[in-house]
Amino acid sequence: MGYLLDSIRALGVTAKNIGRKPVTVQFPKVIRERQERYRTSFALLKDEQGEERCVGCLACERICPSQIIHMSSTKKESPVTGKKRGYLDDFTLDMTACIFCELCVQVCPFDAIVMLKVPHEPGYVREDLVLTMAKLYENAEKPLTWGNGTKLMEMQEPPKPAPAQAAAPVPAPAAAPVPAAVPVPAAAPAPAPVPVPASAAAAEPAKTEAP
Amino acid sequence: MQGLLRGLVYGGLIITVLMTATAWGMWLERKLAARMQSRIGPNVVGKFGLLQPVADLMKLLQKEEIYPIGADRLLFDLAPFLVTTFAIATAAVVPFSAEAVGADLDVGLLWVLALGGLMVIPVWMAGWASNNKFALIGGMRAVAQSISYGVPLVLTSLVAVVFTGTMSLSGIVKFQIEHGWLALWPPGPGVVAFVLFYMALLAESNRIPFDIPEAESELVAGITTEYTGMKFGLLYVGEYVHTMVGSAIAAVIFLGGWDGPFHIASGLHWMVIKTVALFASVYWVRWSLLRFRSDQLMRLCWLYLVPVSLGLVVFAALWRHFVLR
Repeated sequence: MGYLLDSIRALGVTAKNIGRKPVTVQFPKVIRERQERYRTSFALLKDEQGEERCVGCLACERICPSQIIHMSSTKKESPVTGKKRGYLDDFTLDMTACIFCELCVQVCPFDAIVMLKVPHEPGYVREDLVLTMAKLYENAEKPLTWGNGTKLMEMQEPPKPAPAQAAAPVPAPAAAPVPAAVPVPAAAPAPAPVPVPASAAAAEPAKTEAP
Repeated sequence: MQGLLRGLVYGGLIITVLMTATAWGMWLERKLAARMQSRIGPNVVGKFGLLQPVADLMKLLQKEEIYPIGADRLLFDLAPFLVTTFAIATAAVVPFSAEAVGADLDVGLLWVLALGGLMVIPVWMAGWASNNKFALIGGMRAVAQSISYGVPLVLTSLVAVVFTGTMSLSGIVKFQIEHGWLALWPPGPGVVAFVLFYMALLAESNRIPFDIPEAESELVAGITTEYTGMKFGLLYVGEYVHTMVGSAIAAVIFLGGWDGPFHIASGLHWMVIKTVALFASVYWVRWSLLRFRSDQLMRLCWLYLVPVSLGLVVFAALWRHFVLR
């Protein structure tokens, strides 16, 4: 008897479902909005003057857990500011081993490397999955994620201490917690006093923001 | 000669119509099942996925035929054809309207029940010839179930026979046109007989909640485990045709066949509507309920269905003797 009643209830449930709208999303035709932290491939950015942001500081290469980032750079005079700074000669990021931890983005003091918000394309050969410098600069045209080095570091900073202490110079608490503050090689004469990425980059309008 | 020609034409017509109806019955089932689970169902091949059966057929035709090691080839090949043949042959005597009936046998109901009973043999052949333990167990279960549920099926049909005093299917419909549908009249027992018939039908066509012969989680796919290509297709189609014809028979015996409610616009279309509604309801049940265990299945049959249907036959006899004289 119990089975009978339960059966009737089950029939009712399915009958009700017939009138309901299907929940299926027809994937390749309809693509739902990506999640906020959806991140796939990488891009290297240029600043407003069209200058490469990356100065070859090796921060990302050092922090990468899979050790898949390799770069080389030389120092040149910047055509824009006239100051000497590093320029990339080569930069590769091997997506075959990437674990998408986003640490390289987090540590970048110049917000040069960011991640994409579109699915990264599969390749027919392994070489397709190695992002060369050219591919990385091309990727800057694609939809980018919300995060860049500055914003991610801001999330990690401990609550700000009293203003009096904050005024005190460099050995700030901000530098302490994460390997984020990998000291930029002194060789790279970046704009302004180097090791305060947060404030320096925050001054610029964040054009890396995802739409 | 003329009779032979008529037989050929009508036979061809029945096979064509029935196979087509079954193909799109499968589409209907998949669509219904999808909607019951808040999915969309087939919608890629053709408008609303209407060409899905054609795509399925093309796929099945392209498949390689595989014979398992140690299979009994003759029986293995023969079984699918016999299943489909018996299923379709049943349709020969179904009166779709007063005129559209292939062979209006005096013993039409007997023919239907006999062929339905014969279905056991090809099913067992398929199970045995596959040389596969899952197929074998599936076949054994199917035989046990079909034979057991054949009893209430026959007994509930007997209720109709006793009421109407004829075994001709169109005779049964004509009686119902005069006296009212058997499912509604006489009030209580008719409905009970109909429900029991329907349950026995579910069991005969191996549908959930009586699908233990091909319980996927236990037996891979029962007797169809080793079949590939169009032979698998025939077994599959045979099952659907069996369900379709069973629905038609139920509509004829208990729901007044081609008679419209209150005799409104009687005709072929009512028969089609009733058959499709019953066919769809089989799948409604299929996608709602759970599977019985083997012993529960047997208990349900022998402890409940058989005694109740026996009682119904006695009631029908008494009614016939005292009320309808």
